[in-house]
Amino acid sequence: MNTTELIAEYREFSPRINRIGARDFLLFVEDLTAVFDGFKAVDIDAWGVKRNELRVVIGPNGAGKTTLCDLVSGKTRPTTGTVFFEGDDITHALEADIALRGIGRKFQTPRVYDSLTTFENMELALPGSRKVRKFFSRSVNKEENDKILQILERVRLKDDRHTEAKHLSHGQRQWLAISMLILSSPKLLLVDEPAAGLTDLETELTAELLLELKDEHTIIVIEHDMDFVRQLDSKVTVLNEGRILAEGDINELTANEEVIEAYLGR
Amino acid sequence: MAVVTGWTLNQPVAAADSSTDTIGDATLLEQMAKLAGDDAAARKQVLFDLAKSGDSRLEAFLENYRTGSVYLWNGQIVVCTETEEDEDFNELAPLTHPLTGEPVLGADGKQAKPDILDLEDMSPDRAGRLAARSALFLLKLSSPDRESRLVAVKKSGTPPYNAEAIPFLEDMAQSDTDEKIRFTAKESLLLIRLGTDVPIDQAEQRWAAAGQLAEMNSLRTLPMLEEMLRDEGFSKHGQAAREQCEKAVTSINSHQSFVNWVGYVFQGLSLGSILIIMALGLAITFGLMGVINMAHGELMMVGAFTTYVIQQLFVNYLPQGMFNWYYVVALPSAFLAAAFVGWLIEIAVVRHLYRRPLESLLATWGVSILLIQTARLIFGDNIGVNSPTWLRGNVEVLQDVILPFNRLFIIALCALCVAMIYTLINRTKLGLRMRATMQNRDMADSLGVNTRRIDSYTFAFGSGLAGMAGYALTLIGGVTPDMGQNYIVESFLVVVTGGVGELLGVICSGLGLGVATKVIEPMQFGDFTVEAIWAKVFVLACVVAFIQFKPAGLFPPKGRLADV
Amino acid sequence: MFRDKPNHELCVWALFLFGLIGIPALYFSGTISIDTVNMLGRYLAFAIAAIGLDLIWGYCGVLSLCQALFFALGGYAMGMYLAHHGGPPGTVDASGWKIPGCLFVVYPAGVGETEAQWTVPWFWKPFYSLPATLALGLLIPGLVAAFIGYFGFRSRVRGVYFAILTQAITVAAWLVFCKNDMKLCGTNGLTNFDTVAGYSLTDPGVKFSLYMLTLVCLIGVFCLCRFLVDTRLGRVLVAVRDDETNLRFFGYKPYMFKMFVFALAAALGGLGGMLYTPQMGIVTPEYMTAKWSILFVIWVAVGGRGTLSGAVLGALGVNLVYNFLTTHAPVVWPFVQGLLFVGVVLLFPKGIAGLLDLIRFNRLAKRTSEA
Repeated sequence: MNTTELIAEYREFSPRINRIGARDFLLFVEDLTAVFDGFKAVDIDAWGVKRNELRVVIGPNGAGKTTLCDLVSGKTRPTTGTVFFEGDDITHALEADIALRGIGRKFQTPRVYDSLTTFENMELALPGSRKVRKFFSRSVNKEENDKILQILERVRLKDDRHTEAKHLSHGQRQWLAISMLILSSPKLLLVDEPAAGLTDLETELTAELLLELKDEHTIIVIEHDMDFVRQLDSKVTVLNEGRILAEGDINELTANEEVIEAYLGR
Repeated sequence: MAVVTGWTLNQPVAAADSSTDTIGDATLLEQMAKLAGDDAAARKQVLFDLAKSGDSRLEAFLENYRTGSVYLWNGQIVVCTETEEDEDFNELAPLTHPLTGEPVLGADGKQAKPDILDLEDMSPDRAGRLAARSALFLLKLSSPDRESRLVAVKKSGTPPYNAEAIPFLEDMAQSDTDEKIRFTAKESLLLIRLGTDVPIDQAEQRWAAAGQLAEMNSLRTLPMLEEMLRDEGFSKHGQAAREQCEKAVTSINSHQSFVNWVGYVFQGLSLGSILIIMALGLAITFGLMGVINMAHGELMMVGAFTTYVIQQLFVNYLPQGMFNWYYVVALPSAFLAAAFVGWLIEIAVVRHLYRRPLESLLATWGVSILLIQTARLIFGDNIGVNSPTWLRGNVEVLQDVILPFNRLFIIALCALCVAMIYTLINRTKLGLRMRATMQNRDMADSLGVNTRRIDSYTFAFGSGLAGMAGYALTLIGGVTPDMGQNYIVESFLVVVTGGVGELLGVICSGLGLGVATKVIEPMQFGDFTVEAIWAKVFVLACVVAFIQFKPAGLFPPKGRLADV
Repeated sequence: MFRDKPNHELCVWALFLFGLIGIPALYFSGTISIDTVNMLGRYLAFAIAAIGLDLIWGYCGVLSLCQALFFALGGYAMGMYLAHHGGPPGTVDASGWKIPGCLFVVYPAGVGETEAQWTVPWFWKPFYSLPATLALGLLIPGLVAAFIGYFGFRSRVRGVYFAILTQAITVAAWLVFCKNDMKLCGTNGLTNFDTVAGYSLTDPGVKFSLYMLTLVCLIGVFCLCRFLVDTRLGRVLVAVRDDETNLRFFGYKPYMFKMFVFALAAALGGLGGMLYTPQMGIVTPEYMTAKWSILFVIWVAVGGRGTLSGAVLGALGVNLVYNFLTTHAPVVWPFVQGLLFVGVVLLFPKGIAGLLDLIRFNRLAKRTSEA
């Protein structure tokens, strides 16, 4: 299927006109553009991710992958277009509201709170009310405590749970960030380069984690590392110059002429 | 009022720049001699002719004539103001020259002091005295000195009106070389016409004068018209007259408002100029190094005190005539001194605090306290700086719009600074390196730009600018050790509003804040005049509101800096 | 309980103990005068305000240069109460209210207004009652802070800009309070105090009681804030300081937390002001100047920000040094002050608290900065 057909197919399911689309597609973007100083970073006619899908987004540098995440999570306002989440228009919502709706994000460079310990970082990611008056509790209850420790165990941070985050290594910070994201249990996870700076073994573990989550969550992963992408074994979307170039199985795509050209240049 | 007297003007009024020497003392003395004649009318004519000449020495002569101190002695015109008594109780008259005032020498080479009885008295009668007085006045009208002429012309438009002046005024209105004097002469003529009671059949011309004065936007007319309208007896002149006068009042009032507003805007521009000079320095250091320099106000103070020191050096060690040059020397000195102090601050303190604006805020505040106290110890609390003489006057740009030179200078200085900075940043290699460092320090470093040195130069340059602001301030403000504190908060507001990235932002917000403050100050709402404090508070509130919509200013910095 | 507390906190508790027991002992034995006790009382009031600033700045990372404003607002609240009940018997206005002495002296009479027409302004009246004054002295700064915070924090005004704005607001408030026509006694300030709650202010016993009251309040505030920063709220504050933007992606709205803390800090500032004024005997607009705002910041910085104990140590320490120097070598004080500013930023950024923690008594301090 070429790109035009692909886009046409997506368009049919736009939540604006299609109730099935609203129900089946957790995330849907339509006519989405982001223009910075005349430069079009993102220019997507129609695209969506279904519920409980694990979708990988790849593309050369500057393709607009991170910008797409920014648009979805509310960090940047689009120039035109709409972002639908669960059928609702969230284009102009605040980041905090988008997060509360159930979109969580891990950034390219892992962002953790340096002055707090690993455990305290996790504590802040616990789902629940974000109102000021709910925060006068001194510690977590047993259930929360167990949940946190469980995740920390998986990423081998349990022993470092009382270490201040600024003393963690880069790899540990990556995992802390991923752990926080997992803990907050959003409906949609936006994971930006989870394998960056990790060893092969660590990369494997990360892939495992993400695959486990797939049943209960929808995940979009942005990656460069092709081995990692293969491990994920999921549908792949290729972005180039802000537009959707192709979509499909990773093996098909690596044989696709256009994709090769985009990555290697003419 | 009296009708025009019967003398005529048969010589042109002395032109402004004609040298009185060309008339020649001999001619004058000839004229004076005629005063000894019998014909009263002729004597009067002589007085007026003398007045026409415009020779300022005649002022003393005419006064002497009027008081009866002029005599004829051996065919010579002489002056004796006070007599002496000799041993024989004879009254002797020491004689002086009527024009020069020098003693007239007798045969023995000393001042002649003949007996008063030997002198022929030339005291004028009452009419003559009045004529002399008029002549004195008219002399001023004919003065070669523009200022005296102007003053005299203006005075002739205020009661009591001197009817003799009218022909002079008419002539001056036509042919005086100075435009302002022509205008004022015309104005005075119309004022005389307006203020003079005439019979009904001539009244139309009188009230028409009101309209003509309004067309001229004559501010002098305003108090006169307002008083006339307030007078209960005015109604005898009829409704038409009243309407004309009221119309004139309205028209002139709007001119007055216009003049006032120009004045406020101008003051705002000069205030804005100082803010801009200060804010430019701040914006550069903040933009380049992410450092907040709270000692910036004190660097301004350094510039002002340097100006003072230079002034003292000139006063104490150089001749009087050189005084005005101190101001020229002070300009680069203020810049360099402040730049030097800034350079020291950079090395000692600021350099260690890049990209840490909150820490640098505190540390530089400490530096500012040190600087203030040092200045206080060295100079004490109150210093006087005198403007150079060539900046003390003012210029009339439009009718009635008078702009003082010192504020014009400040605005010009600001424009110069802006031009300097623009050239430096956009057209020099150093500027290019500065911009590179500002936008991506690490990249610039790896490309071989010596960023540390750029920082030093930039900080020094920004400090020098503050010094220039201080130098300019000595023209309009007091010089005290804590003068910087008055401007620092406002300067920061300018930077905050304008955005750190662009020159243009600082200029816009500086001018905006300056003009807004000065324009709001005199506003009145009913009984309540805004005044300086509320104007400042209001402007501040506007800035706060503005920041809501544009938290990073008019022109926010782009790139990595944006995260500071 | 004390085993795992950092040095600086132990130090503060020691000081509290000394203040509760040691100082009274010294006073009643005649070793120190009532003036010294009074001075300590005033400095303790500063410490209360400093703790507030530490909350908003040390923990939350928001530099506020208007803590002095809140302090002064509390001071004015108490000042108005004291002025009502003090001063020479002056004129009683038409509605039966006695015009406070300090207002009487600088009353901004309108054109043609006679003394008989002067009235006590409406905004003075609530401060006649002590409970109302106490409440307002906390509420007014709190509400002002909430107002400023709402507009500042919601529009995401960043660190430095916010600091400058708060300074500008403080200066503007100073300008306004200096005006006589505001009927707040202009630059003279509020004075002519006699009694508080019926007790004479000049009585040494009362002065001593005020000192004790301030100390107890300080201990209470310290414990309250200690409690707060150990809750999840405290951790959110630290997270706001470290990476506010990231918090948003976890569903938090940082401005709400900042507003809450800012208002709390302001209320603490007001509390400090209220305790300060009866001990000082006067309150003027001087306390609203930029200079005082920075002083508060310096106390917290020198003491060690983000520790709470630092606020107390800094406020007491710096003021004691100030007192010593201005008595014996006044010219030196500005130099010391300036050098303190520069030094605490460049040389010992963790302040006194940090220095104290370098001293290792035994295996203490996991929570301190150097690990």
